[in-house]
Amino acid sequence: MKAAVLAAGLALAAVTGAGAQETFTIGLSNGWVGSEWRTQMIEEAQAAAAAWAERGVTVNVVVQSANVDVQGQIGHVRNYINQGVDAIIINPNSPTAFDPIFAQAAAKGILVVSTDAEVSSKDAIYVGIDQKGWAMQSAEWLAKTLDGKGSVVTINGVAGHPANQMRVEGYQEVFKGYPDIKILNEANANWDQAQGQQTTQTLLATYPDVNGIWVQDGMAAGAWRAIMAADKTKSIVATGEIRKDFLDLWSKEGLTSGASVNPPGVMASALNVAVHKLMGKTFKDGVFGGVYGNAIYIPIPFVSNENLEENLKAAEGKPGYWSVTAEVSPDEAAAFFQ
Amino acid sequence: MQALLDGRLWLITLGALLVLVGVNTALQPNFLDPSVLQSNLTTFLPLVLVAVGQTYVVLGGDIDLSVGAIVALVNVTTVSVIAALGGTNEAVLAGLAAGIGVGLACGLVNGLVVAVLRFQPIVTTFATGIVFSGLALRILPDAGLPVPEVFWRGYAGGAFGLPTVVIVLAAVVAVTAVVARRPFAIRLKAVGGQRAAAFQTGLAVGRLRVGAYLLSGLFAALASLCLTGETASGDPLMGQTLALSSISAVVLGGTALAGGVGGPLGSLLGALVLGMIGNVIFFAGLPFEYQTLVQGLIVLAALAGGVLVARR
Repeated sequence: MKAAVLAAGLALAAVTGAGAQETFTIGLSNGWVGSEWRTQMIEEAQAAAAAWAERGVTVNVVVQSANVDVQGQIGHVRNYINQGVDAIIINPNSPTAFDPIFAQAAAKGILVVSTDAEVSSKDAIYVGIDQKGWAMQSAEWLAKTLDGKGSVVTINGVAGHPANQMRVEGYQEVFKGYPDIKILNEANANWDQAQGQQTTQTLLATYPDVNGIWVQDGMAAGAWRAIMAADKTKSIVATGEIRKDFLDLWSKEGLTSGASVNPPGVMASALNVAVHKLMGKTFKDGVFGGVYGNAIYIPIPFVSNENLEENLKAAEGKPGYWSVTAEVSPDEAAAFFQ
Repeated sequence: MQALLDGRLWLITLGALLVLVGVNTALQPNFLDPSVLQSNLTTFLPLVLVAVGQTYVVLGGDIDLSVGAIVALVNVTTVSVIAALGGTNEAVLAGLAAGIGVGLACGLVNGLVVAVLRFQPIVTTFATGIVFSGLALRILPDAGLPVPEVFWRGYAGGAFGLPTVVIVLAAVVAVTAVVARRPFAIRLKAVGGQRAAAFQTGLAVGRLRVGAYLLSGLFAALASLCLTGETASGDPLMGQTLALSSISAVVLGGTALAGGVGGPLGSLLGALVLGMIGNVIFFAGLPFEYQTLVQGLIVLAALAGGVLVARR
């Protein structure tokens, strides 16, 4: 009996080895469910996995997505290892805490790809945007729009979060290059829209002559509501965000805004890169960079008053929470390989 | 049945655990592999430790909402001390000692404010938890600062032919057995069950309550060291879910939130049950949109089941 099973297994291995039909199982781990952005991220990754069928590759995805702390997310990875997946794609809650568990995954031959936030592990690669570059792009826009002078306040996400830290470094570096731009205050509003609005109200009351607000992600919608309530839409410029409902408001109210796009398609991009790797391809020399030397940075789109209309057109028919997105297609991903 | 269960509500928890193990083994055939068991125990151990510490506080009729923050503070202290001393083996030992010291100090602060100043425990430990988190962020503003390999390799490895996590678990059981035989355990239950009566019979109520908070701080510190072994780095946001999970584990384990009844062995089982529920849900292949919901419902059912059986 045992021999028969073994023989069947070998036969199966021979068939798949011949490459008639390749099948991979990929585990997706998301450790925070506080925004629709994350939901869209997972849905786009699932769609990207399904799209591989056209190319004769079956990609099964298993999803774990919940509000967990680092240890809970390590639990996600353990489950995938114990289940025996081919690859794990993770939006990690910590840059460093996964080093030991990724080492275990790599020891079992599992490919680990982090997305949206870089990880220090030598056993993983990162496919996503450069968070620092994301912040620099919008800070540069803000500085130029203010003609290089004025008083600025910034509203950040969660203190201690790695992506937040990189973004803070990014705008600080840019504003340093503009000696006439003064940062009056740097507040944290935890990536929460309501808190973003309250914080902006407080800041506007404290600094009535502020000219610019640099604010991250969905908090921008809150910040703009506070700006509108204070009737300062003409005297203040602020960064914006990429959800459709905000684009609508932006266009309707004629705001002066600009938004770096952190596309929810990052996980789909990571998946497309991962599938190429699972098919046995080798990365080109020199594709990796970043803080830990394991990152493949993908392009960061930018929405400003100039291309707002195009983006609105692309968003037509989508729900209000839909975010402007972009993804590295399977063909584009192939360019990273030899 | 009633006689058997009297004072042994943890038997129900044990039954639930065995059922979950059976279901999990059916869903995940390699569940009983030693490496998979070790992997799971590594995941569950921090909650087990925090829940055991929480039990003493709850037995005394109090509650400790600051345990998660203590875990974070101990973690950042340990990694910072190790890094400051140059990452040698001696530095690792100093870091471990500093972490345990910080855990005890946090427990002492909680105990003094609650038992001596007579503040409400639930509000007090909620507030001290914010203070401890704030201190953690002050010490290590963002996640990072890796620990030397000897630390996490030691935690993932073993000694005397046993995995480190198994040794830690055995040590916890031993410590709780010793504490259970001390007069402290019975007096603490008296304090939780009938505080006024305990005071009138001359028990040092304040000192006993402080002792319980010290134990909670100590076990939170041990949990933090385990987490540090698992994550190999500092993270000021670590452990945020531990406070409420540990209270759930305590209640699941048959300890009354009103105090006076129960024990740490039940909480240990309760923590394992909570962990196993998560496992079973993953391997049952539920769509992720439903995982949290189903997990919540099963925990609720387990809690309700325990209460209903106990009432009869």
